[in-house]
Formats: sequence, C-alpha cells, structure tokens
Amino acid sequence: MFFHIVLERNIQLHPRHFGRSLRDNIVSKLMKDVEGTCSGRHGFVVAITGIEEIGKGLIRDGTGFVTFPVKYQCVVFRPFKGEILEAVVSMVNKMGFFAEAGPVQIFVSNHLIPDDMEFQSGDMPNYTTSDGSVKIQKDSEVRLKIIGTRVDATEIFCIGTIKDDFLGVINDPSAT
Amino acid sequence: MSGEEEENAAELKIGDEFLKAKCLMNCEVALILERKYDQLQQMSDDPLNQVSQVFEKSLQYVKRFSRYKNPDAVRQVREILSRYQLAEFELCVLGNLCPETVEEAIAMVPSIKTKGRAHDDEAIEKMLNDLSLIKKFE
Repeated sequence: MFFHIVLERNIQLHPRHFGRSLRDNIVSKLMKDVEGTCSGRHGFVVAITGIEEIGKGLIRDGTGFVTFPVKYQCVVFRPFKGEILEAVVSMVNKMGFFAEAGPVQIFVSNHLIPDDMEFQSGDMPNYTTSDGSVKIQKDSEVRLKIIGTRVDATEIFCIGTIKDDFLGVINDPSAT
Repeated sequence: MSGEEEENAAELKIGDEFLKAKCLMNCEVALILERKYDQLQQMSDDPLNQVSQVFEKSLQYVKRFSRYKNPDAVRQVREILSRYQLAEFELCVLGNLCPETVEEAIAMVPSIKTKGRAHDDEAIEKMLNDLSLIKKFE
C-alpha cells in the first residue's frame, strides 16, 4: 500500500552551498539522498512531495560541514503481511513465479498456486489449469495475498499466495 | 518485527505509525507521480534519467492498476468511502481492488467484519453499489 507520511532526516551540507540558494540546495540534497531508497521500517521512498520544516543548522566540530534537520512529506510504498494487492507476473519457473507490485518483488511458490494448475515449460513457461481456461505467464496480472515479508537494510522481499478465495489471475495477456 | 506485535493487515495490525498515516489509493498515487514527472520534464529533456528506479516502477504500476482515471472520480471515491467509518487502510484496499460482491469485499478486507463495528452486509452492499456507479459515470 502507498502512504503519505512525514519523515525526518539530517542533511549534511558543505559550506560552499550556503548563501541565497541554501534552501534549494538542502532540498535537492535531500531528494538525492532519500528518493528511491528503502528501509525496513518505512518501505520504499517513492517521491518527496513537500518540505514541512528545516531546522536550525548545527556546525560539525572540525569540518565546517553543517547538519540541518529536515522534516519532509513523502509517498512511500510499504507492503504488509496479510495485505491483498494486484501485481504483474515477471518470471515463471517450476518453483513458482515472481510478480512485481511497484518497487517490490513477490514470490509465489508452486505450493501456493492452486493444485489444479500445472507447470508447462517451453518458450513461455506458464501455469495452466487442466482445461486450459486459466493461464499464468509473464505479464499476466494477478491478485495475490502477501503472507510473509523479509526485510533487510535496503530491500523488502515478499512471499505471496494465490490459493485463496477471490485470488488469482485477473487479466490474461494472451487472451486479448 | 523487533519485538513488536506481529503485523497482519487482515486484522488491521500495521503499526501505529502507518495506521495514523494517510493511505493513498493507486489512482491518487498516479495523479501525484504524474504531476511530479511533468514538472521534471519541464526542467530537463530526459526526465527518465532524473528519477529513481523505484519512482519509475511505481509510476508504471499505479498507471496500470488505477481503477479511476479522472481526478474528479478519484475525489468522489474517497468521499463516498469515507462516509462508511472505514480505517484509511481499508478504504484504500477497497478503492484499489473494487470488489463486486459482499463476500469478495469481506475476503479482501476481513477487518470490516470484526466485532464491534457496524458494517452489516446491507451497508457493504450499498457501499459497493455507490462505488460501481462512479465507475459507470466516469
């Protein structure tokens, strides 16, 4: 799910960036530092949408660098265990398939794909029901439920399932 | 989850910080990111170079999965859903997935049926009807 939240960060700036455009320099440094990063706690920082407050700068002893505490609003993407969302299938193999929902990758193991769907290898590996009516392949859109997340310092990775009511393929690219 | 209670979106356990935060539906994120992208485009010829991979992937994703395209419809969806005493998170899941039946809605957002909340099947049905009307007249 996407959220709009307020975060805080200390920005260190070299004295050559001071002067009339100090504020602009702080903001562009902030954007460069945080946009596109990921933390386990807040998820992926997609875009900064506004600056709430820039605090008083503090000169570092010995270096001349100044640290400014900045409060900013941003759009983050944070997946949660138990959340249901839509995703695009990016890779299919006999172990299961990978899907992407925005910046996050979700793996669905073949144990969590309905039992009546069989793996078919070939040019376009896919999972298909025995009557061929439902097919999961690259670029299919699926609705899945996140059942686990693994978080490390710079990445969030999810495990999902489509073995539940109202989950599964919502759009098959080969059908249209 | 460092000693905290384990998170589970189905029971609305997403941590205090996110529970109080403003959630965004995919269509709202699309509006925000497209505007930001346009601004970048005005400043440089090659905006794709300026944005992070996270931004690019998110933009593609929300464009693909936005149920409502025009800004007025997006506003209406939020307004209508907010009449039903939903948590922000529940509101956005419903707005994103647009369930068609009451059972589907409950499967998508199990927390609307938990004890002590005033959502009977009729209320949910009415809510889904209102939603599909917006889609029809968009």
